Amino acid sequence: MADKQLAATVAASAFQKQWFADLRRRVFDERQPYALLQADVPFELFDLVDVPAVSNQWWASIVAAKRQAPQFLDAMDADGLHGDLCRYCSLGYASTRYRSAGDAPWGGLPTPRLLCARLTCDCIHRVFELWADAFGAELFEIDHPGAGDLPPRWWELGRHRWRELVEPHRLAFVVATLEKLVERLEVISGRRLDREALRDRLEKVNQQEEIFDAVRRLIATAPECPVRMTEQITNVMATQWVRGSEWALAHARAFHDEVQQRVEAGVAACPGERVRLMWIGVGLWHDSGFYTAFESSHRAVFVWSMYLAFGPDGYIRYGLDDPMAALASRTASFNEYLHNPPWAAEWIVHQALEHRIDGALVLRPRSMKPAGTGRLFIERALEDAGIPVLPIAADVVDAREWDADGARAAVRSFLETRVLQ
Amino acid sequence: MQEPYVVASWPAVPVEIVRAAGFRAVMARGASDPTPAADAHLEPGIFPNRLRHLVEDALTGRLSRVARVIIPRTSDADYKCFLYLREFVRTGVATALAPVVLFDLLQSRGADVRNHDVARTRALLDTLALCSGRMPSADDLRREITRANAARAAARRLVALRHIVPRATGTDVFPLLAAFWEVDPDRYVEMASEAESRIAARPPLTGPRVLLTGAPVEGQILHEAIESHGAVVVAEVGPWGRGAAGDDVRIDDDPVAALADKYQADSIGARTPVDSLRRWTEHMLDDVDAVVVSLPPDDAVFGWDYPALRDVLKARRIPHVCLRGDQYQAPTAADHVQLGAMVSAASQMQEARRG
Repeated sequence: MADKQLAATVAASAFQKQWFADLRRRVFDERQPYALLQADVPFELFDLVDVPAVSNQWWASIVAAKRQAPQFLDAMDADGLHGDLCRYCSLGYASTRYRSAGDAPWGGLPTPRLLCARLTCDCIHRVFELWADAFGAELFEIDHPGAGDLPPRWWELGRHRWRELVEPHRLAFVVATLEKLVERLEVISGRRLDREALRDRLEKVNQQEEIFDAVRRLIATAPECPVRMTEQITNVMATQWVRGSEWALAHARAFHDEVQQRVEAGVAACPGERVRLMWIGVGLWHDSGFYTAFESSHRAVFVWSMYLAFGPDGYIRYGLDDPMAALASRTASFNEYLHNPPWAAEWIVHQALEHRIDGALVLRPRSMKPAGTGRLFIERALEDAGIPVLPIAADVVDAREWDADGARAAVRSFLETRVLQ
Repeated sequence: MQEPYVVASWPAVPVEIVRAAGFRAVMARGASDPTPAADAHLEPGIFPNRLRHLVEDALTGRLSRVARVIIPRTSDADYKCFLYLREFVRTGVATALAPVVLFDLLQSRGADVRNHDVARTRALLDTLALCSGRMPSADDLRREITRANAARAAARRLVALRHIVPRATGTDVFPLLAAFWEVDPDRYVEMASEAESRIAARPPLTGPRVLLTGAPVEGQILHEAIESHGAVVVAEVGPWGRGAAGDDVRIDDDPVAALADKYQADSIGARTPVDSLRRWTEHMLDDVDAVVVSLPPDDAVFGWDYPALRDVLKARRIPHVCLRGDQYQAPTAADHVQLGAMVSAASQMQEARRG
């Protein structure tokens, strides 16, 4: 893996490790409750009643990055869970269910008081129920009503006219479900959710995402990309899991300022940049070196992933007179924004053009079926916009069948035959 | 000229509402023939065979004259299929396709799911009524519920002939049960009653009794394969066979709410709560000698239930096999070897039980 170029990245990594150590201390020593959540659950509600929350996807990425995934995945295979079942959302479960098979990072997950998932894809109910059983913990499910009306340019509507983005019956359903979740959290924590504090938190989330929006503009408009995609992800995700907190806001500002200084000083992630690439899909957590592998050979730098770009477009909600409804409007359509036609393709092409992208690598996930849908629409839309596409077949947490050399060779060939002609 | 029928992607759409609005329901089914038009637009390994065929029909104009295409929220693949079909129309890829409707019936146990489901069921009624120009009254709906309940009772009598001492093979009975969804209820009662009389007069079948579980099967290719080894498939998970009829819909002041409750509780698919499927399966195990678990390549859901089921089967000493093939393709030679061994083991245990 390449060295970190930004001080903010080092700070973000250190924060996450310390945060997790603090969590374990609070759970084990102080017997405080915590929650395990799917990434698209509104974390703000948990934080505001003082129930810290760990993201399933974050934990899976840490397990994979620490090269511990193969052992747990082998244990899943040995237990008869076939290879077409999603490994990304279930790696965390495997690290609990087959605890002795591997060495989970940082001492492993303690037992949560509550698990909570949005039922976007069909397997999540299964995975979280099994996980809750394995822990002997409670599960709260947020069902996912389907969208029948998907107006164009969702990323513009979402900021000010978010009530138009989600059909009224879907919004009402998600609001009602979140209210039930709050009731449950209040019982668990013994604390009442302060609605003013929720509004205040969402305002701070808006501020944080505005800062990320500014970072995104810097990256899109600078002559050369000032910050590697991998470092964008580390900085963004460390803050997103505690979004709207004092640390998150301070860190977002520090990240922005450092990027801005680099732009002003003409410092590039890959000096002499010739090719700007975008990565579409979940990060390849077990091989982050992939994203810097073409810098020295082709001066090709990954400029864009959804992780930074989605923050401003997916999270900002202005007009917080009813903060729960605003939160629900963000929660209701995550899956549609990122994976489904027409929204995902429309947004990604818009982003590609803004970021002056020369070529796009699109993940073809081997086992994450829901994340695999919409991919052909995205590939076609990019090609139609004049942006060459290279599909990359991979499992984002399972390195066992990952052909690192073959994938790099395919990218080199793509760069030489389709991008650098 | 519009034809008076609607096509649904899965039997989780209240046929009572469809009929009351003046339509016939036709359910999408898979097949073994190729789907080249759909393959150009659907990612491999995600959409089950029946949806690939539905999209093939949509893209080749074969669904241009149906009144509506209804996609229930049975699975994520169905929902994605709904979004894809809309996009095909918007972008001109599908030039002749009937309007596509999402029937967003949720099945989780959340407190507000019921209100949502009743409202969505009412919205489906309004949509179909607007389409046909015929708004059914509550009495119209109750009449259709009564007719469908009579068909359910007839289907349950057929199911009883498979129970404990089976008198018909699964290959024979499965299409009769599956017909519940598409055949007019009065006609279905006649047909099922005639079959019931015929089957009841047969001698009992003595082969090992097999439960077919895992992903719901839509056709009888697996039944034929299993029964070619001398076993009898006495039950299968899913809405096409043993689960076609289920319990009656209650006759209620609010027939729409009654229908929403019935389909929320009884619809079987990828989003059916795991505990209700588990209860059903374990109940079935009391009366079977072997189990076949079908987990086709597009399965993203039912495979999660397999280790627990396997442990139960081991504890109860019930032989089983797990098949990974597409249910619309004939099982492989290796599958047949496994099936033969399973049936042989079940036969030996059956004989041992009989002394």
